[in-house]
Amino acid sequence: MDLQASESSGVGRTYSCDTSEIALTGQSIIDSRKRLPTPDSPFVKQGAEGGCGVVGLACNIPLEGKYLLQSLVQMRNRGNGKGGGIAALGLVPEQLGVTEKILREDYILQVAYLDQSSRKQVEDERIRPFFLVDHESKVEAVDDYRSISGLEVEPPEVYRYFVRVKAEVLDDFAKKCNLSSMKRNELEDEFVYQNSYLLDHQYYSSLGEKKAFVVSHGKNLIVLKLVGYGDDVVKYYRLEDFKAHVWIGHHRYPTKGRVWHPGGAHPFVGLHEALVHNGDFANYHSIVEYLAQRNIHPLFLTDTEVSVLLFDLVSRIYKYPLEYLIEALAPTTERDFEMLPEQKKEIYGLIQTSHIHGSPDGPWFFIVARNDVEKNAWQLLGITDTSMLRPQVFALQEGPVKIGIIASERQAINAVLGRLQEDGRIPSRFADSYWNARGGSHTDGGAFLFTVRDGDHGKELECADKFGRAITLPEQDWLHGPRTDLALNVSVALQMPRKGSQAQDPLGFYEYVRPALRDAGFQYAGEILEELKRLALKGQESRRFAIQSLSLLFDRIYDTGYKKRSSLLQLYHEALNEVFSSVPVSNYDVYTRLDWRNRSRLAHPGLESQVLVVDALEFPVDGDESAARFVVDAHNQGWENILLYNLRGHRFIGSGLGPRTNSLKIDCYGDVGDYVASGIDGCELTIHGAAQDQAGQILKFGKLVVHGDVGQAFMYAAKGGDVYVLGNAAGRPLINAVGRPRVVINGTCLDYLAESFMAGDPYNGGGFVVVNGLKPSFDGRFIEQEYPYPGGNLFSLASGGAIFIRDPHRKVSSDQLNGGRLADFTLKDWELIRPYLEENAKVFGISVEKDLLTVDRRLLDPSQAYRKIEPISLQELA
Amino acid sequence: MGSLELIVEKHTERIHHGLEVLPTLKHGLPAGLGNKRWTGELILATYEQALTGELPMNGLEYKTGNSGGGFDVLGWKSHDGVAKVDEDQVDLSISLNKRGEGKKIEIPLPIYGGGMSFGSISLNFMIARARAAKKLETYTSTGEGGYPDQIVPYRDHVITQVATGMFGVREETIQYAPIVEFKYAQGAKPGLGGHLLADKVTSEVAKMRESSMFTSLYSPFPFHSVYSVEDHKKHVDWIKTVNPRALISVKVSTPTDVDMVAIGSYYAGANIIHIDGGYGGTGAAPEIAKKNIAMPVEYAIPKVHEYLVSEGVRDKITLIASGGIRTADDVAKAIALGADGCVVATAEAVAVGCTHCGNCERGRGCQVGITTTDPELSQFIDPAWGEKRIVNLFNAWSKRLRIILAEFGLASVRELRGRKDLLVRYK
Repeated sequence: MDLQASESSGVGRTYSCDTSEIALTGQSIIDSRKRLPTPDSPFVKQGAEGGCGVVGLACNIPLEGKYLLQSLVQMRNRGNGKGGGIAALGLVPEQLGVTEKILREDYILQVAYLDQSSRKQVEDERIRPFFLVDHESKVEAVDDYRSISGLEVEPPEVYRYFVRVKAEVLDDFAKKCNLSSMKRNELEDEFVYQNSYLLDHQYYSSLGEKKAFVVSHGKNLIVLKLVGYGDDVVKYYRLEDFKAHVWIGHHRYPTKGRVWHPGGAHPFVGLHEALVHNGDFANYHSIVEYLAQRNIHPLFLTDTEVSVLLFDLVSRIYKYPLEYLIEALAPTTERDFEMLPEQKKEIYGLIQTSHIHGSPDGPWFFIVARNDVEKNAWQLLGITDTSMLRPQVFALQEGPVKIGIIASERQAINAVLGRLQEDGRIPSRFADSYWNARGGSHTDGGAFLFTVRDGDHGKELECADKFGRAITLPEQDWLHGPRTDLALNVSVALQMPRKGSQAQDPLGFYEYVRPALRDAGFQYAGEILEELKRLALKGQESRRFAIQSLSLLFDRIYDTGYKKRSSLLQLYHEALNEVFSSVPVSNYDVYTRLDWRNRSRLAHPGLESQVLVVDALEFPVDGDESAARFVVDAHNQGWENILLYNLRGHRFIGSGLGPRTNSLKIDCYGDVGDYVASGIDGCELTIHGAAQDQAGQILKFGKLVVHGDVGQAFMYAAKGGDVYVLGNAAGRPLINAVGRPRVVINGTCLDYLAESFMAGDPYNGGGFVVVNGLKPSFDGRFIEQEYPYPGGNLFSLASGGAIFIRDPHRKVSSDQLNGGRLADFTLKDWELIRPYLEENAKVFGISVEKDLLTVDRRLLDPSQAYRKIEPISLQELA
Repeated sequence: MGSLELIVEKHTERIHHGLEVLPTLKHGLPAGLGNKRWTGELILATYEQALTGELPMNGLEYKTGNSGGGFDVLGWKSHDGVAKVDEDQVDLSISLNKRGEGKKIEIPLPIYGGGMSFGSISLNFMIARARAAKKLETYTSTGEGGYPDQIVPYRDHVITQVATGMFGVREETIQYAPIVEFKYAQGAKPGLGGHLLADKVTSEVAKMRESSMFTSLYSPFPFHSVYSVEDHKKHVDWIKTVNPRALISVKVSTPTDVDMVAIGSYYAGANIIHIDGGYGGTGAAPEIAKKNIAMPVEYAIPKVHEYLVSEGVRDKITLIASGGIRTADDVAKAIALGADGCVVATAEAVAVGCTHCGNCERGRGCQVGITTTDPELSQFIDPAWGEKRIVNLFNAWSKRLRIILAEFGLASVRELRGRKDLLVRYK
């Protein structure tokens, strides 16, 4: 079988060479490692490790390390301060004190000295005899590690050597290892790899007292790590102004208690790649054996290390193109495999046969920064496991610079963009596009790659999925900054509603300006916002009008013409924040505001229907004094209208309110964190934007509206609630839901929708889920997604309730079910879901007739547009 | 009196009579009672203790079973030459919160009740357990099946369990609880989740769980929201947002890396790490799973205890063992292996008449009204009577524990912890 990748495009396109030659040299490399010493017990993991907080970014211009900081701070709960690390790829020669040539050609060998006195010996034994050192320096760090609060263990001193292998050393190596036929650069790679292995073996793994280890040795790539959080690395090693095209930041959560050095922290390196990992493997032992058969032995004994060893094996020794490499790590299985084209099935089948024992099993998500040295291309790759058990979000923004981001949480992505926007580097704190990968799938392959490479106008950033299909954005204008204060255009001012009907009717106002927002420029939008901001200051009613109008502009999907929606969102976001911040702290207004500093002034509301505006910015994201607890306190004081803004990943909003909160309304602006609306029982909670993972756990009763996507495990074990989601749900929504949840998801879900759903008889007070399978197009319409439901295990083992799925082209097939049945959609069903679709129309502007029932300009009968999936009585459940 | 009441009264009377008489029979053991682990004699000894509150005086074996393994091959070292302490002076109390923060909770005996859900057991038995827990100033757990209104009066002594199906878990049930227990796995069936077969899902059970009647209910084997320790941390943080005062218990089975699970739980804020071995479980747990998955608890306890000691956090977390703790001697052995205390469930069922017939999964399988939700059978246990029996049993156990400790010259059960040296293994 010729392992040549498809010539189509993308990831694997340039791969083409004689596979038999690869097999031969690959085997010689593997054989050459036989002479390396082996560690004592590589089969015993050093410590279990759970999930982690990860963020990676790639940009066509080099960005400073400080842009990772806020994002890492906001994900600190995902680590425990016992391991933090960064990788930087695509560096700037001047800041390293080397020439561009040296940066491109030399290996950057970085050694961490846990024991300072070992440095001379290490250099004399493992560096100077073999390498030409073109440049060397101690990696700059702050003087006193204790000046960084929370840092308890002094990080090791790291020395950086720019090296090439001496010619005679390489000749000798080739001869000794029988590798003379190998290409010179590949030989040199292997020498560096083996030399670092020997260094680590001698000075790290074989010793009770560890002395030194190689942190990284790739080209144009550095890794730094310490015992602390990822953001501590940036601060300690003074990377705030250090520039790179590709960054990865990582918090580790090792469960072992005493950690005195960062040897186990991520990232780990193969050769020209650094890998961070979130999750853990069930088959560490099996993978170690698989590697041992290829003379590869882990020395740091963590899942992450074996992951990158696998990656290096498959990419550098076996030379798989990326698509096949990903397949070797995260195999395509079940129905997704069946859905592949025949040719892919054949190749993937062979890959799986050879690699399944070395394929990590369990929940994992990798982010890899990799230097494709030959093409001088810098890559940032995110791969999710086949079951998608770890959280992951991808995002892309195009403007004066183009930037791609991968992270554990959407709020972490927005934190990076937010910092860049504040510094005027990019036009908006919102990405143009956010998405999740569907692991091991035939649709996107569960992996996305951002590549920085040379283009016609300097560096360019490309994005593609596992199959090499490019992810592109429409060409639209972004907001150019810096912006000056806009003079109010009289004509706009005259158009603004004053008194009378429209003044009380934000929706009327929205419908009025909507056509103009398509055709006019940013200037017009800016003028409208100025006027609304002015109105907000005029009086109580006009403030309400301004807030509601701005919210509509922010939440709704409409045609923005040649203007990027992300840029408009930035304008609305700023206007909303300005309006909120202008609310007085006085308690005698319809709107009253509190922030962290004034939180002790919380008192009973002075007026009926008074709105408490909470600036969440400085509140802790969780814990006893969190924003979520403040909402509980406010509600206990009698507040029935609470509006939170400046949310930055604050978790558990809506939790702790207790039973029967029927008259309470909560509005969330900013980035809500995980578990929003969990356990609510009666209240109405609106999220102006997306929700994250674990939203609506055990939701009992009430109304939840999400003007965006929701993350994983949405409404797990929910008991009820009327819920409206504008976008997609990620994996595993509504598992084990009971009672009467009634949910409209206008997008789709990745997999396992409503597994073990037990919500009684939908016609008799039970629950159901409507999936519309739509997505907003860039020109503001709701269009059909490729598949209304792409995954498997739809409604599996359900014993109650029903799924109603909009599927006019009959794409859902029974092999996606597991214990349910596709049934006729009847008039009774339509009567059941129609009120919910009408409410859905009200909250999102998705018209029942125009958007849901009209297909190819034809108005369909509901039974043609929708299908029903109902439970069947299963023997397993009897 | 209607005919149903008459039937109930007749059966109840006979059950009570049987429980009194059986331990005193002179013609050998009743046929078919018990098994090698829970021997007939052990069951009768439990009936006797539940009746009298004293250790059996009539020669019934009340210390160990006859399984040929586990606690049954562990015995006590000779205490010759040890200065005995006064039994009445022995302190049996343990702390359930050893962290420097949060509510201090101590229980006067190193035992509390394990989770058995409404649905798996009858409401009356559940109330009896809750009443006993209140009387003994200890705790019982809801299991995963909701929080019936009838046990709300005892809420200061009821642990709310949050298990993978989250059946019946609502904000108020979390807010009632002094302790919230996260059940990740059950020792009797690790990796299999929970299941309640259709027979037992009566209208009351279905109502409590908000599911459909007479349809089997499964709890998933994992929490679909928790696939790592950092997810778990977030999960705990959520519950603590709902109820900031609650102590946190993490119940897991005994996989080979249970020590790592324990340390991870500690760092994620747990006050109690509860390891559940494979000898427990009612007859509803599949036979093939019981005792056959994961590590025996007598290996797991020292593994976790010693690892927590080596990590320097042993005195900040309470280690609780469960899964087949049948007697006071089992409790003491678990503590000597390294636990702080034990969770007990089946022994309480035996106290109110369980014969180990193993028909727990059927709707009308339990002839004594314990593991049933049948409206008739479930009335066989009068809560006040059940309370008395359970309290008596634990009073008898306390006496035995005092004897063991006094003989070794230990003034407190806390001193027994980790004293493996006091145990011997029978060949």
